[in-house]
Amino acid sequence: MSLDTHANPHHEHPDVVGSRNRLGVILILVADIAFALSILFVYFYLKGQNVNDMWLPKATEDTPAITPLSSLSSWYVTAIAAFGLLAHQFGLRGVRAANQTQLKLGGLVALVAALVATVYQNMQIANAPFTFYSGAYASCYYLITILNMVHLILTVFIAFGNWNRSRLGIYAHDHWHVDIVNIWWIWMTVSSLLGAFALSFA
Amino acid sequence: MTTLLNKTNKKALIERLNIFTAFALGALAAIVVWRLSLAFLPADSESAPLFTREDKITLLSMIAWFVGFMTGIGALIGPFRWVQGKDLTHEENMFYAGKDLGVKRYFRYTTDHKVVGIQYLVITMVIFGIGGILAMLIRTNLGTPGGGWIHPQAYNSIVGTHGIIMIVGTIIMVTGPFGNYIMPIMIGARDMAFPRLNALSFWLIVAAAIPLIWAQFIGGISTGWSAYNPLASQAPLGMNGYIMFICIFAISTMVAGANITTTVVRMRARGMTWNRTPIFIYGVVASVALALPAFPVFFLSQVMSGMDRALGTSFYNTALGGSGWLYENLFWIMGHPEVYVILIPAVAALMEMAPVFTRRPLFSFNVAVMGIAGICGLSVLVWAHHMYISGWAPLLNAPFMLTTELISVPTGMLFLVLVGTLWRGRLWMTVPTLSIFALLWNFMIGGITGIYLSDVPADAFLHGSMFVTAHFHYTLMGAGLTGAIAALIYWFPKMTGKMLNKRLSWIAFWLTQIGFNVAFIGMFFVGLQGQPRRVEAYADIFSKGNLITTIGAFTIMVGMLILLHAVISSWRSGVKAPMNPWHAKTLEWTVANPVPLENFEVLPTVTSDAYGYGRSK
Amino acid sequence: MSDLRSPGQDYFQSKWWKRKDVKQVVVIWIIATALIGYLSSKIQVIAMGNPASETMENVIHLITVFTWASSPVAGFVAALALQALSQKRHHGDNPPPEADHNISSSPRATAVWIIISALLCLFALVVGLIALQKDDQALLDRSAIHVNVTGQQWAWNYDYPGSTGVRSNVLHLPVDQPVVFHVTSKDVKHSFWVVQMGVKIDANPGYVTQTAVTPNEIGTFDIRCAELCGLLHAYMQNKVIVESKADYEKWLASQPDTGHTTWTAEGAIE
Repeated sequence: MSLDTHANPHHEHPDVVGSRNRLGVILILVADIAFALSILFVYFYLKGQNVNDMWLPKATEDTPAITPLSSLSSWYVTAIAAFGLLAHQFGLRGVRAANQTQLKLGGLVALVAALVATVYQNMQIANAPFTFYSGAYASCYYLITILNMVHLILTVFIAFGNWNRSRLGIYAHDHWHVDIVNIWWIWMTVSSLLGAFALSFA
Repeated sequence: MTTLLNKTNKKALIERLNIFTAFALGALAAIVVWRLSLAFLPADSESAPLFTREDKITLLSMIAWFVGFMTGIGALIGPFRWVQGKDLTHEENMFYAGKDLGVKRYFRYTTDHKVVGIQYLVITMVIFGIGGILAMLIRTNLGTPGGGWIHPQAYNSIVGTHGIIMIVGTIIMVTGPFGNYIMPIMIGARDMAFPRLNALSFWLIVAAAIPLIWAQFIGGISTGWSAYNPLASQAPLGMNGYIMFICIFAISTMVAGANITTTVVRMRARGMTWNRTPIFIYGVVASVALALPAFPVFFLSQVMSGMDRALGTSFYNTALGGSGWLYENLFWIMGHPEVYVILIPAVAALMEMAPVFTRRPLFSFNVAVMGIAGICGLSVLVWAHHMYISGWAPLLNAPFMLTTELISVPTGMLFLVLVGTLWRGRLWMTVPTLSIFALLWNFMIGGITGIYLSDVPADAFLHGSMFVTAHFHYTLMGAGLTGAIAALIYWFPKMTGKMLNKRLSWIAFWLTQIGFNVAFIGMFFVGLQGQPRRVEAYADIFSKGNLITTIGAFTIMVGMLILLHAVISSWRSGVKAPMNPWHAKTLEWTVANPVPLENFEVLPTVTSDAYGYGRSK
Repeated sequence: MSDLRSPGQDYFQSKWWKRKDVKQVVVIWIIATALIGYLSSKIQVIAMGNPASETMENVIHLITVFTWASSPVAGFVAALALQALSQKRHHGDNPPPEADHNISSSPRATAVWIIISALLCLFALVVGLIALQKDDQALLDRSAIHVNVTGQQWAWNYDYPGSTGVRSNVLHLPVDQPVVFHVTSKDVKHSFWVVQMGVKIDANPGYVTQTAVTPNEIGTFDIRCAELCGLLHAYMQNKVIVESKADYEKWLASQPDTGHTTWTAEGAIE
């Protein structure tokens, strides 16, 4: 039998808890990755099938022809997200070097980046020059941008919590939360990039 | 009760929330959003190709229900406390774990894995009860040829509801009750890795159930459980209930998958190396880990289905560039791994019991692990065998036939482990022991008929017929449910502290198994004769087989009712169970009845595998 | 059955094929294999009835082959299970004494098991591929006539070649004449199943799918929808009348032309 006699499981070493939480988050991200990859599958499947020639409907008497949008705005969103990721990593480097100010600064900049990206993404969706009825491309366009929007709103929530907690000095002793938030930022940026990548092939 | 969480006399928020606040808040949110959307959503424009307003209202109300319910049960407290920087204190965590709460903890967001396990057990039985009643309605309607007494629309809805809730019931029937209650003790842990996520995964299922019930009153789910589009997009408003149900359930599955996998990977007792980890643990982890990448695909397919209905997009609407084949692909990319999500833990539970009841070591532990891993690996590559005759890609039929038939090799390994363990064992005749034989019989029939179906030319005849229905009932019910019931009998003493009535469970076993084989062999016959699935009327030539099936189905019902009676009466007033009634060697039998809150006073250390039965020569 | 629970010292000394329990298994195995194979294939053939095309003959043949190929496996598992059950069984609330051995693996048995299951799998695959090849060839038959099949809730309609719009809701086919079906749907997914001819293909909205068959029996056979397609799915069925070439031509000529053709010089459209 082991010598481990303390019956209270809530006093585990932060490294143990941290590695457990990291694995949990990565596993949940596996699910999200599967989700994002199936969106890519949807996009390229419908594009390849072009059923009834309605991927990009031709002009009719009432409606103009649907033309693919420039994917540039999606790349902008990705760029802002990547900037947020860099800011967060800047903060992470700070906390690793026991520099709380750098952590707070990085967290704040990341939060602002997440907010800006969300607003910009929202504008991109609202300004799309077609409706939900405008064929398969338009549907996929909405699907990809709305998914990214959901990701960004989550990121705002997480980045706000991360900044708030670092402001309160919670990460003075251990910082595995910041590491895990970093994992989220990486995946969020990659998924945004995947969306922009898909939209580049209209 | 005392307000240990707060210095003032006011109760803290987390003390106030329970199932009643959840239902109240959910209902309130749904009603408010329903009224608001009725008042403010613009009418459909005449020129729009689709009318979406009603669907918008329904879906928005259902989403409001979901958010209200989860808020009301207290699921959001953790995340918001994190953002606030006020992490839960030790006292609060103990409160969450249900310390000193008595029976109330079963109606709260309780994080103790044992409470969650019991909650899962009860909800699984409720699901099977409802699904069983629906099955009886179907079989009564099909007892005689020609149109039955149920209206076709209602009949289709019964078929769809029976299908989807039985699928959900079988998905959670082993990993829910036993994966939550038994698994952490079996690996020597004090709780799951993420206790709050554990509570979340359970309450998500409760939240999901309401839209499904709701759906029954607004047109039902008249599409079968697979809800193929574009049939689903022209179905009544009830489809929105299906969509919400699947989306919420998929989240529950993903959360549970991440939680259980992390628990097993990170929290096994000292000395429990991978080759000392019981095979049941492998089964549970394989199942939930397989669900992890599979269910998001299902989730997406339903998100798009909802967008098609409520926003008017055209993912599946062929007139506007959508594709039904897209839906089928997404559905079956989830759908085939899902049957192994159901099957593997049930078979693994029986493998866990086999050494106990034959008093000899498990035969070829490594082969069992290889078999499980092989099935998991191949199962993500076989989905298109459901689509041989859909015409989406005739050239891919041959490769999918190859992968499908290959899966019989790892499945055969599981058989080898079971028969190998029976070989030269000392049979202790209990219902779980009989269940091993029942599984061999049923799963053999289910497996071999699967080979006919995996063959493209034979499938061109059999696809969409009753033969398929009989085949998957043999695997999911004959193998899966048999394993789950055996697991219930085996772990009942640990979970309830009582022994399950032996005589009653014995009678129930024989009635269900005989009824089952009568019912579904009859169904194979009418399938071969050419009766399609999901029909509410059939020609006279099928009447004999259908009558036999109906008789068998009612026999199953009697058996199941006896089992239910046995469970309830034994739970209330059964014989008190000893700590280790089966003289088994896994860790869950080393803890007292009832299991203390944190399972182990002293965390155990493992020095050998759990199958050290039999005398060495 | 004799008691194997006290096999004596020499159990593991004697050659494995001389052991009593092994012999029992072999005997049960042979009996079980014969029984399972014979009964199952017999019942299957009775259920599937008389084939109306070579494709269906192949299906019946395939299913019989699979049944016989898998009955030794089922028989073997049954034999092991029955042998286990035939030994002395222990009842009661306390466990029996533990087994007299602690064998936890057998690399030889495992290897044999895996190799044999892989070979059976290979066999099933080859048999299936040969049959599949035949079905695929039929699609390319140049002498075939073409019929357009349109599913809609809840009826089938058939358009015939060489006419400007002969349309019927009972399918007429000439006997011994290869025919290719071009199948589509107007609304939701249906599945076109000519039961006694053993062919089935889904009718998808937005797509045209093909399947081919050569009916070789004169008579009336069933067509059913095999994919749930809404309210009256159960009633979405009609007949196919297979008749002699002359009768078929006569029938085709007697039908009114709607003037609406689904044919071009190249073949079928939509």
